[in-house]
Amino acid sequence: MLDLLIGLCIFLPALSALLCYLAGSSQARARIVIATGVVLAASSLALYSRGTFSYTPDSILGLKVNLLITAADFALLFIIFGIGWSRRSPLIMLLTVLQILPLAYFEFKMVHHVEVTPAFYGDDLAIIMNLIICIVGSLICIFGLPYMEEHEHHLHLKKTKQPRFFFFLMLFLGAMNGLVFANNLLWVYFFWELTTLCSFMLISHDGTDIAIKNGSRALWMNMLGGVAFVCAIILLYRNTGNTEFLSLQYLVQRHDLSIGVLIPLALLCLAGFTKAAQVPFQSWLCGAMVAPTPVSALLHSSTMVKAGVYLIVRLAPAYAGTNLSIMVATFGAFTFLTTSMLAVNMRNGKKILAYSTIANLGLIVACAGINTPAAIVAAILLIIFHAISKGLLFLCVGTIEQKIGSRDIEDMRGLYNRFPTVTRISIFGMLTMMAPPFGALMSKWMAIEAASHIPWVVAMLALGSGLTMLFWARWVGLLVSGAHLGPTEEEGDESSLKALTETMAHGFYSRQSKWQDSLAIKVPLLTLAAAAMALSLSAPWAYTRLIEQRVALSGNLLPATGALGATGDAGSFYVLPIVIVSFLGYTFAVLSALKKGHRVISAPYMCGEQSTDLKTPRFRGPLNLWTDYTAANIYASEFIGETKLTSWINIAALVILIVLFAVAAQ
Amino acid sequence: MNMENILAISLAVLLSPILGGVVAGLDRKITARLQGRFGPPVLQPFYDVLKLIGKEKMIVNQWQILCAYVYLVAAVLTVVLMALQSDLLLIFFVLAVGGVFLVIGALAAPSPYSQIGAQRELIQMLTYEPLLILVFVSIYLVTGSYKISEILKFPEPLLIPLALMYIVLGYALTIKLRKSPFDISTSHHAHQEIVKGVLTEYSGPYLAIIEVAHWYETVFVLGICALFWHTNIPIMVALVTLTYLAEIVVDNICARLTWRWMLRHVWSAGLLLSFANYTWIYVR
Repeated sequence: MLDLLIGLCIFLPALSALLCYLAGSSQARARIVIATGVVLAASSLALYSRGTFSYTPDSILGLKVNLLITAADFALLFIIFGIGWSRRSPLIMLLTVLQILPLAYFEFKMVHHVEVTPAFYGDDLAIIMNLIICIVGSLICIFGLPYMEEHEHHLHLKKTKQPRFFFFLMLFLGAMNGLVFANNLLWVYFFWELTTLCSFMLISHDGTDIAIKNGSRALWMNMLGGVAFVCAIILLYRNTGNTEFLSLQYLVQRHDLSIGVLIPLALLCLAGFTKAAQVPFQSWLCGAMVAPTPVSALLHSSTMVKAGVYLIVRLAPAYAGTNLSIMVATFGAFTFLTTSMLAVNMRNGKKILAYSTIANLGLIVACAGINTPAAIVAAILLIIFHAISKGLLFLCVGTIEQKIGSRDIEDMRGLYNRFPTVTRISIFGMLTMMAPPFGALMSKWMAIEAASHIPWVVAMLALGSGLTMLFWARWVGLLVSGAHLGPTEEEGDESSLKALTETMAHGFYSRQSKWQDSLAIKVPLLTLAAAAMALSLSAPWAYTRLIEQRVALSGNLLPATGALGATGDAGSFYVLPIVIVSFLGYTFAVLSALKKGHRVISAPYMCGEQSTDLKTPRFRGPLNLWTDYTAANIYASEFIGETKLTSWINIAALVILIVLFAVAAQ
Repeated sequence: MNMENILAISLAVLLSPILGGVVAGLDRKITARLQGRFGPPVLQPFYDVLKLIGKEKMIVNQWQILCAYVYLVAAVLTVVLMALQSDLLLIFFVLAVGGVFLVIGALAAPSPYSQIGAQRELIQMLTYEPLLILVFVSIYLVTGSYKISEILKFPEPLLIPLALMYIVLGYALTIKLRKSPFDISTSHHAHQEIVKGVLTEYSGPYLAIIEVAHWYETVFVLGICALFWHTNIPIMVALVTLTYLAEIVVDNICARLTWRWMLRHVWSAGLLLSFANYTWIYVR
């Protein structure tokens, strides 16, 4: 049963990818994608219900699995070399050669075969990652079906490129599942490179100049991580002389710092940083926005960048209690602060989301570096909540973009009056990123408490936290900004409960504009929104469960500074009251707002010269003409302009990285 | 949920607005005297709110109502959580969500005054929030806990190890209470602002809600100050009174400044003082 489930998670997406590529019609493709999504979700849930497992396959179709992976590794690297060749990119070719040669030397000269048992291992972290990939990832793929139809319709393509698109989309899910379950570092490396290739193909999918340019950048930056990965594998073996160290579980549980594992660990963290687009590698993820929305949603929420933080969180026990750990925390907190700052400067909605993703990943990295059980649990919870909320927000912005033809948040002013339902879901998504009792903020709270003993980290987290609050609040405000179009008092009186359910189901102004989107857009949006809500409600219990496992696991491995970290002392009942009270509070506010009664709708105040026409706020200007007013956000470009700040941020980040390696080399 | 907690909650919910209102009245009286006016009666804020509640409900955008109520609920919750001696950071986040909704409500109204006020209020929040977190972290560094119940068990007044942090807190509170020179998003001085910034489009009963919420926030702010001398009640009262008097004096001798100045000055001063104090904690 176990082999079947793991096989389904890894090979089914690959198989469906092939089928999607070969499928003749878009209907067939849609069926394949939806069926795969359902099966994947089911098998990930089945794996979740089984709990921790380890599994080693003997052979696949009579072939040694190790041999297969090695062959596939080289095939993959040669494909990437070919891409570098065809793109005339010496950098990509160089970085590929820097992986092929050492890898060949390692595989054929240093060791002859690496047997790592178990081959697959699933603990709480891996299983949660698998759930996210299978459920959130599948929903995004399903959302992609109608989206890509519309997208290609806009582009006026002669021949559809969707088979190729869904091929890589599905393959991506399989590669991610392989990555989180694999225990052998060489296998992890293979899946790692596979996700790099898939992301490159998807980012440059549209084939425009900018898409190809940004795709190549994503490729070389991630190949840099690949080089670090290969070096880490070789150094691990050379320093320890033991192939057992190539097992992630052994590496993590051994926790022996005397034998030179810190440099390989630092290299693996560097690989994680590149994949998670931490500064100074942030530009590849920002550039990835040129891809169609499902790609950005997938890259940002459930795959790719999550692989980077997964590796860092996975390795956290191995470097616990070292100065390397403190440097990882510093690096993560620095990324959190600087990218939050850049997000405040952005008016492109997708770029705000991109920088916010990088910031949250930085927070996860910081949690891994802080390395108390509470911090690691905060990191895992952040991975979950961020995946769901960010997936949701990307899908929302993508939908909005197709409706209004712009990503600029200034163009989204008053969107609530035009597309109430999508806007309401977006607002909900943004609130789940910043407001209590939703998980993202609660995890941030846990992170700050856990970071308290490292003053500079906590200062950076505090400043960054203020900045994130700013850009989310501003965006929500813009979405609801506008004249009052709602029903006035003559609508008749309803009970407030009915009004509430009505609003939940259709939105405040549902009588005026119905939600007109394909079912494949509605279902993912609503499912993700419901998941964000449900998971936030169940966060206290999830917290208790995770922390118990962590504490049981870590035992004596962790430094003795309060075995539970700061928040640990009360478990779920610590968080529970605030969850209940906040929901009661929100409900009270919503009910009061919906209560019917005598209300006068007025035009906004403009020094007494405002137009009495409520729908279009204007004022009587010079020459007695009606004039529109304009207002815009403060983007503070003179302080935090992206072009001005980025190079400084990159230099500072490089310095931190150098210190990180210096500390590891001690 | 024992009797003690229920008592604490009801006291917090019922007494705070009275205390906050009286403080607001005294504030106005003292300010008037400082400016050479006679000033309104001390109970004037209550008369104002009662009058506002009686007015016709007027809105520009439906979201304003929701936002006003969330602001109130968040403010009440912060005081309740404080009365229950809960976690400081948690209280902070609840406080922050109230501020966020006040801004959303202001942005919802398409009026240039309230839009600009909202943007400025966001910058004010951005300025004081990190400082407040740093203050709470310093309290943790000294007492080893974020929970007020644990902090109250600390044998020595916090002001002694955290003297510099009290100044940082002073900055944060001046911004939070929108006193000059940080009354950037909306000012209560008629000579500095004619249109009420972030509050422009809230009127009647909804403005009353916001006013009451502000009283709760004042009580919260004074409560945080009180934490710095928890060992002796008379000194605690004296400290809080002196702090608020200092706020009033600063409010009256300063002119309103720009947000750029505020951000630059307060962040650099706040970070510098914080790190100095953190070092002091480690050295001690």
